[in-house]
Amino acid sequence: MPITRINIGPVHPSTHGVLRLVVDIDGDTVKNVEPHIGMLHRGVEKLVETRMYMQSPPYMEKLDYISPLSYDEAYVAAVEAALGVEVKERAQYVRLIQLELQRIASHLFFIGTLCNDLGQMFTTFMWAFEDRDKVLYLLQEATGSRMFYVNMRLGGVVRDLPPDFAEHALNFLDYLDKRLKEYESFIEKNPVFMERMKGVGVLSRADAIDLGVTGHVLRASGISYDVRKDKPYYVYEKLNFNVKTQQGGDNFARYKLRMEEIRESARLIRRALNTIPEGDALGMPIRLIGPSAKNKISMVSRELPRGEALMYLVADPQRPYRLSIRSPCFINLAALGHLTSDVRLADLFAIMGSLDLVVACVDR
Amino acid sequence: MKIDRENLQRKVAELKKAGYTYLVKITAVDYSTNVQAVYILRNIPKSEDVTIEIDLGNDDLWLPTLIDHYRAADWYEREMSEMFGIEIRGRVARRLLLEKWDGVDPPLRKNFQWNAPYKST
Repeated sequence: MPITRINIGPVHPSTHGVLRLVVDIDGDTVKNVEPHIGMLHRGVEKLVETRMYMQSPPYMEKLDYISPLSYDEAYVAAVEAALGVEVKERAQYVRLIQLELQRIASHLFFIGTLCNDLGQMFTTFMWAFEDRDKVLYLLQEATGSRMFYVNMRLGGVVRDLPPDFAEHALNFLDYLDKRLKEYESFIEKNPVFMERMKGVGVLSRADAIDLGVTGHVLRASGISYDVRKDKPYYVYEKLNFNVKTQQGGDNFARYKLRMEEIRESARLIRRALNTIPEGDALGMPIRLIGPSAKNKISMVSRELPRGEALMYLVADPQRPYRLSIRSPCFINLAALGHLTSDVRLADLFAIMGSLDLVVACVDR
Repeated sequence: MKIDRENLQRKVAELKKAGYTYLVKITAVDYSTNVQAVYILRNIPKSEDVTIEIDLGNDDLWLPTLIDHYRAADWYEREMSEMFGIEIRGRVARRLLLEKWDGVDPPLRKNFQWNAPYKST
């Protein structure tokens, strides 16, 4: 049969943003996929060069609208490294709690949209969004905002946790434990889901390293690398963080890994809430200055919900001279061509869903 | 570490043999008189990173490709190539992010007029 070239996107419900795929198919078999990106490119790296240091966190949050706080924190951490600012002890706990809550929200979003991409289970989508909303309420309680938080300041946070936050958060985590069991029994006993997840989109260990994939895609291929463990920041080491891995390397392994990561995040939040020290967590007021030296390079890695982000910041006294962002979605999308060679066309979206892309994060 | 671009492929092959099998990022910084390319490689079991810096000057901007060593280099090289106007030798570097953009200057270079009125070519 002759090769047919079809165009998917740029506006398509399963591409999770403005992403265009040019797909060569032979009958129902995908022969080649070429992603065309850049339609959501806003030039954030250039924009940052034209702003003072603490004017940029709101831009950073728009890079990944599913987990804005994580990008915000990664950028502020890079600025802190350039300025040599220490983060207060209580603030480290507050940040960790908020980051892990953000991770839970993001992973719930992933599970919901993945099931939606598979075309079968709108129920899971509604469930996951309902539970994600509960996390957003918690974050709203903590930061005052529902979607874009901008809660990081140099050395601390804008708002400390409110007095009854711990109780609300612990109640939610107990509820979530029960809920995750329901998800698993609902999803994993569904033959359609399993058929399209098990053994589909397999990425071997060697390929995962060679393609440079990151985050859950890397760990689902059996490689234990998590910035929270390997280059620990804040109190992750103190709270005894465990890296979760899966051996399968397929769609199911990526889904299962995220389920486990939600549980691990919940465990971390519980421990952090129980051991959080008293004291001051507030950061410095916004200062319109930078480091005293010119061209000071700081490199900061952070484990975002979607994988490792690396901020390569060349800092000047007035404003960033250059900020290079290593986006986790960018490199995971680059691996799509490899993952989808010789799969069925319908599985293309199952695989894309399991990569959990945010196109804003790809394009920057 | 700082090396010359002529030695890049040899050095990377050595590092890869020594366990630096994961490419984290390829990027560049324009220091006005000098464009510097930055390669970050990682040894995953030891969780060690190494940064390679290459000074390219301002006129003769080219780099050898690393696509034979790391498949991850593909998109990073394409991005760097169009954002900094660096020619990547040894491969076809098609455009990636700015496919339809008809501007002249590479946008992340310092002489790029980011606030100039748009002129259609």
